[in-house]
Amino acid sequence: MLTLFKAMFKEEWRMHSTLFGNLNFALFPVLIFAIAFMGAFLLPLVHNMMDTFILSIVVHAQFLLMGVMVGSFGILGKEVMNRRFGQSSLIAYSARSLPVSERILFLNFVVKDILYYFILWVLPFCMGFLIAAPFINLSIFWPLLLFLTISLAFLTGLCVVFLLSSVYAVSKRALYLVLSLILVAFAVVSILYSPVFALSYLLLPANLFVSFSYSGLLISLLLIFVLFFLSVVFYSPYDTSSEKHYKNLLNSWSEKLSFLKDSTLVAKDFIDLYRSGIGIGQTIFSFILPLCLIWLVMSFVNQFLPQTGILFTLAVVSGVIASTIYTWLTEFDSISAYYFLPLRLSSVISAKAKTFTVLQAVPVIFLAVVAVISGGIGFFLNSVVLCLSVSFFELALMVRLCGLSPGTMIYNVRVFLVYILVTGPVILVLLGLTFISPALAYLSALMLIPAWLMMKSGFKKWDSEDFTGL
Amino acid sequence: MASVIRTDNLTKTYGELRAVDSVSLSVEKGSLFGLLGPNGSGKTTMIKMLTGQIKATSGSAEVLGHDSLKDGIKVREVVGIIPEQETPPSFLTSSEYLSFVAKIRNIEGIEKKADWWFDYLDFADKKDVLCKDLSRGTRQKLMFAQAFLHNPEIALIDEPLINLDPVMQRKVKNFLKDYVKAGNTIFLSTHILEIAEDICTDFAILHKGKLLHTGKVGELKEKGVHLDDFFMDLLERS
Ligand SMILES: Nc1ncnc2c1ncn2[C@@H]1O[C@H](COP(=O)(O)OP(=O)(O)OP(=O)(O)O)[C@@H](O)[C@H]1O
Ligand SMILES: [Mg+2]
Repeated sequence: MLTLFKAMFKEEWRMHSTLFGNLNFALFPVLIFAIAFMGAFLLPLVHNMMDTFILSIVVHAQFLLMGVMVGSFGILGKEVMNRRFGQSSLIAYSARSLPVSERILFLNFVVKDILYYFILWVLPFCMGFLIAAPFINLSIFWPLLLFLTISLAFLTGLCVVFLLSSVYAVSKRALYLVLSLILVAFAVVSILYSPVFALSYLLLPANLFVSFSYSGLLISLLLIFVLFFLSVVFYSPYDTSSEKHYKNLLNSWSEKLSFLKDSTLVAKDFIDLYRSGIGIGQTIFSFILPLCLIWLVMSFVNQFLPQTGILFTLAVVSGVIASTIYTWLTEFDSISAYYFLPLRLSSVISAKAKTFTVLQAVPVIFLAVVAVISGGIGFFLNSVVLCLSVSFFELALMVRLCGLSPGTMIYNVRVFLVYILVTGPVILVLLGLTFISPALAYLSALMLIPAWLMMKSGFKKWDSEDFTGL
Repeated sequence: MASVIRTDNLTKTYGELRAVDSVSLSVEKGSLFGLLGPNGSGKTTMIKMLTGQIKATSGSAEVLGHDSLKDGIKVREVVGIIPEQETPPSFLTSSEYLSFVAKIRNIEGIEKKADWWFDYLDFADKKDVLCKDLSRGTRQKLMFAQAFLHNPEIALIDEPLINLDPVMQRKVKNFLKDYVKAGNTIFLSTHILEIAEDICTDFAILHKGKLLHTGKVGELKEKGVHLDDFFMDLLERS
């Protein structure tokens, strides 16, 4: 068991380090550390603007969000196990011949992933604060508590989505039932008490940071444990006991898409999304859920934003999150299943970009809902232009930097640095512009020009390189 | 005889490792060429370089007159390939996968061709089953069919028989023999020497990336030497 785990752990390390070198991978946590360390010096400044509770909610929500975004093991996990590992006959796959159950194997995989997220993100982030604490006259108690509570926040988000996605994999109807129940419960508590009260329960760890209590800690831990336990219980490996027959969709779907040059590849992507359930699943877990969470948290801090602030901020954020659709489009597809055909890497990437484009309907619908609810319907078009410009810009950036393996390449410290150094300023400038005047949101469309150029140069770059992805 | 595949000092290195080391060989039209060698000797790497799936570090290679290093796409258009791993896309059905390949290769009348293969390799009952639910052998049949849909002049096939049952193996072997008789060429990589001895006309032995020997299977047979004895001998001496 432990040997298996160690082997999987090493394998993950090697996978990254052979892709872009030991150092580039090992430096990644160092970079996160540096960012947190420098960020800590801004703390007194920020503190003047927001009170501790709000600040704590923002920080914890970020880690909760990260947990939410990576937690959909129930659907993506087994797909990744099947493909990423199946392809290159790595341990997760070959271990199937060992006397361990698929569930244990999966558990190993999940725990390994969680540990990686800790080492790469949570730990260095907290270390940054810890080391900075003496310089800003902060008691060492706070960074240590922060380590505890953001770990809890991360794990809570992760386990909630892990459970939901496992339920989803068993029965879609059950998921919708569970989601509605949560929504109703939240609404009832909001009405009976207050939305703030309801939210603080949802973000228990953030609460814990502000007012620590052992009972609160116990409840948090118990919650995580129960959620995790149930997720593993609900997890269902692929059921191959019954042999199902399917209608041929490829011909009709590629016909419908025949206005595209690579309609076949795009149709294949959509069949994958549809039959695996990943399309809807990932939309819910990696898009709708995180954005609703951000929306919720933003309604807290909206006193600092102009009236249209929520809509535009959400537009930018959903643009960034929408661009991660590209990551899961590449993650669940095993390109080596057709790369030996006469295809260029750039054709595969460009087909993915087209699938991506169709899926941008999701953020647009989301923004329409936000616009209606938050009363900014007059600025709906502005927000859509803003969101899609950001999303396509980020897509192009990812294509240029990571090609077909954004999921792994982003941990290359050089890639990550370029990614945030480009993304950060772009977001800030755009938000600044929209705060000046909503009409300036249209200016964001100008970003499509560099996006186009980056895309083209990305195609060239990846065509001239060996395909090492899986 | 005209050679349809030619390499000159073809080399691929991964850091220190010379996966394929200065290999020069030529394959004649109409031959069934067996590339033999132990695990990790560089057979798959050879096929991938010949078809431009990976870039050679140095040297040159040509397939049907197309430069593998510069024009891999062109090579892959004209040849058929069975990759080492028999993993068609999980969520397509068998028949969808064949249509998929046909669309990418611009092959007309795929339905009839696919049906012929389903019958020939005896898996018509799995037509509408998702690839992820197929047995390994059935997947291998599918990958086999996929490579020959467009009647390529050359097929480069990497261990295509490993998961097939004896009945299917015989069928596939006969298919390959007939295929080269019709004037096509097969470049087969395998470490199962009995198969090579049975069907190949020519062979080359690769060991740790180096080409140890090339020869004709018929000449060995005339001398009364078994291919596996020859192979073991050669490896021991090297
Ligand atoms: N992407 C890669 N990175 C590093 N080394 C590689 C890579 N691909 C192959 N190798 C190495 O190159 C050598 C040749 O590998 P190759 O797959 O060509 O062998 P093979 O003859 O096909 O073996 P088998 O009979 O097991 O299929 C091996 O030592 C292998 O470890
Ligand atoms: Mg091989």
